[in-house]
Amino acid sequence: MCAGILATFAVTLIFKTSYTTNFAQGVISAIGAYVAVELSMKNGYPIWMVAIVGVLVAFIVGVAIDVLIFRNGRYVNSLGKQIITMGLISIIIGVIPFIFSVAKMEAVPAFPFIHLTQGLQIGEIFIQYNTIIGVAITIILLAAVFLLLQKSKWGLSVRATASNEIVAGMMGINTKVITAISWGIAGAFGAVAAIIYIGNVTLSNGYVMTTTQINAFLAGILGGFATFHGPVFGAVIIYGLNILVGCLCIHMPELSTWKSAIVYLIVMLLVLWKPQGLFGKKLVKKV
Amino acid sequence: MSNRMNKYLSDSLLKQESERQGAELWGKLIKRPTFSFAVFAVVMILIQALSKAGLIGSSFVNAVGSTLIFCIVGLGFCLLLGYSALASLGTAGFIAIGSYSAYYCLAEWGLTIGIGFIVAILFAVVIGIAVGYISLRIEGIYLAIVTLGISEIIKELLSALCDTIKIKGTQITLLGIESIKLKTDVIYYGIVVILFILMFVTQNLMNSPTGRAMLAMKNSTSAAQAFGVSLMKYRLMAFTISIIYASIAGFMYMLYIRYVSNSMGNLFTLSMSLNVLGAVIIGGMKSIWGTIGGMFIIYGIDQMFLQDIPFFNENPTFITLFCGILVIVVVMFYPGGLAQLALELKYKLASRKQKIKEGIYGKDLG
Repeated sequence: MCAGILATFAVTLIFKTSYTTNFAQGVISAIGAYVAVELSMKNGYPIWMVAIVGVLVAFIVGVAIDVLIFRNGRYVNSLGKQIITMGLISIIIGVIPFIFSVAKMEAVPAFPFIHLTQGLQIGEIFIQYNTIIGVAITIILLAAVFLLLQKSKWGLSVRATASNEIVAGMMGINTKVITAISWGIAGAFGAVAAIIYIGNVTLSNGYVMTTTQINAFLAGILGGFATFHGPVFGAVIIYGLNILVGCLCIHMPELSTWKSAIVYLIVMLLVLWKPQGLFGKKLVKKV
Repeated sequence: MSNRMNKYLSDSLLKQESERQGAELWGKLIKRPTFSFAVFAVVMILIQALSKAGLIGSSFVNAVGSTLIFCIVGLGFCLLLGYSALASLGTAGFIAIGSYSAYYCLAEWGLTIGIGFIVAILFAVVIGIAVGYISLRIEGIYLAIVTLGISEIIKELLSALCDTIKIKGTQITLLGIESIKLKTDVIYYGIVVILFILMFVTQNLMNSPTGRAMLAMKNSTSAAQAFGVSLMKYRLMAFTISIIYASIAGFMYMLYIRYVSNSMGNLFTLSMSLNVLGAVIIGGMKSIWGTIGGMFIIYGIDQMFLQDIPFFNENPTFITLFCGILVIVVVMFYPGGLAQLALELKYKLASRKQKIKEGIYGKDLG
């Protein structure tokens, strides 16, 4: 869930600053996870260190993608940009086995911060330390980023770029730098999400973050891409629904196959009711 | 004497006239796109025939067969992407629908091919309209997101239903008659025929008012609306058609390959959707021949030749990487793709010919 919320923010940031849905978000974050796992398994570095290195690498990859590709392709229309990000998926998926020896393994075991058997016992509920750390990181990161967005000069520039890139440029904002840093931050957030995510699941291939990414996009549609907080709330709603339906499935086991389909259906009905998203505004385009 | 002479002259004139008309007819026929499609189909059938004669290896024919199946998917995608500027990432899921309907209708319920075919198309239509109606109401670019989600869910559901699907040769019967069993080579001919029909249909659709409405919509939604083109109707139409094509391809895939193991999530993955997209982009989005060329580059070359080279066999992701790079390069620098390249080469060749002619006979001053 934490991973999902972080990934949602990353997707939203890129949607706002680059006007495209970044399909490569999942694989960029997977690179971060692979760097971390590779370093840790080969050299035995402590997890904090490799996590930071992984996040940094994802940041650099994000910036590189913007500088090398999107800066040169500004005049490509929105469909073209979407397709470029789809092409990026193919490239990264193709590159991963050449760089990381871990990727040749069948499946890498789960990679938690603290071993999964350790945790807090409160009454009947057992909470893993790993989960607590994940939640803490998510809350700190999100709080920091929203504070920066609202209060800092950087946040103001990002919001200005998001609302209108050309006018923002006229007002003396270096939109190129803002966009590049947004891509970097999105990559870094994705990497954090991926590293939290692989604490519980096995890292089998580059598509490890696909489900998270789909949920992130759905959250964006549900909350409406018009605001920064809308998608984050959307993500909370989607994961809440997942847990609810999951509870329902405990009583009716035959439903469990249909779990994600049910959640998807509910989200789609909500979107049918509010096409601009729960927090969205209708955008009117002048011709 | 003169009468006979006259008769002879008029006869020869008539003969010449009829010959000229015949040649004109022939020229017209050659220029029709359908003719080139037919030639393509005949060549594809010849490949199978040559393999029966033992001149071509059967693995080559199999590679061609599965590439042709993907060509069917590509045609639908070409209509969606090139004519209405919508991208879908759910292709793999929609192909899976076709395959699973083939499996359930033929192997589990013992129905005939015709009924299975109709069931596959019906499923495609229902899903296409439901998914399209919701996602296209919001905005065009959301279609890719929603289809990506739908595809993952379809995959999950289907592999929960039945992990490995397999059809025995004895279960593929025509018209329910036990004695008429269709072998793989007959299915191959079926694929070629279906591809030919769909090429013909697509070509006509592209040149019909529908195709023009879609093009208008692609170039400017506002202008198209001003001309009375209903965005929802035509987008939904393009999307549903592309799903129907994918479903048909999935159906034929199941009949041809006859075995799909979905346990590792190997086949109907995002990679497949991306490869189809890549092939259509590389081919040049709007052209039927471009799409087929793109498919042969992405799937054909890989399966026909590269599988035998150890480097490519050990690194199967290399072709994915190559496809991704090509897609980005084409989108950024050469949006026309392969079709554009062919056209430019043709012009260049024509101007070269002209120059050579001028070199020999001198410049045409008229």
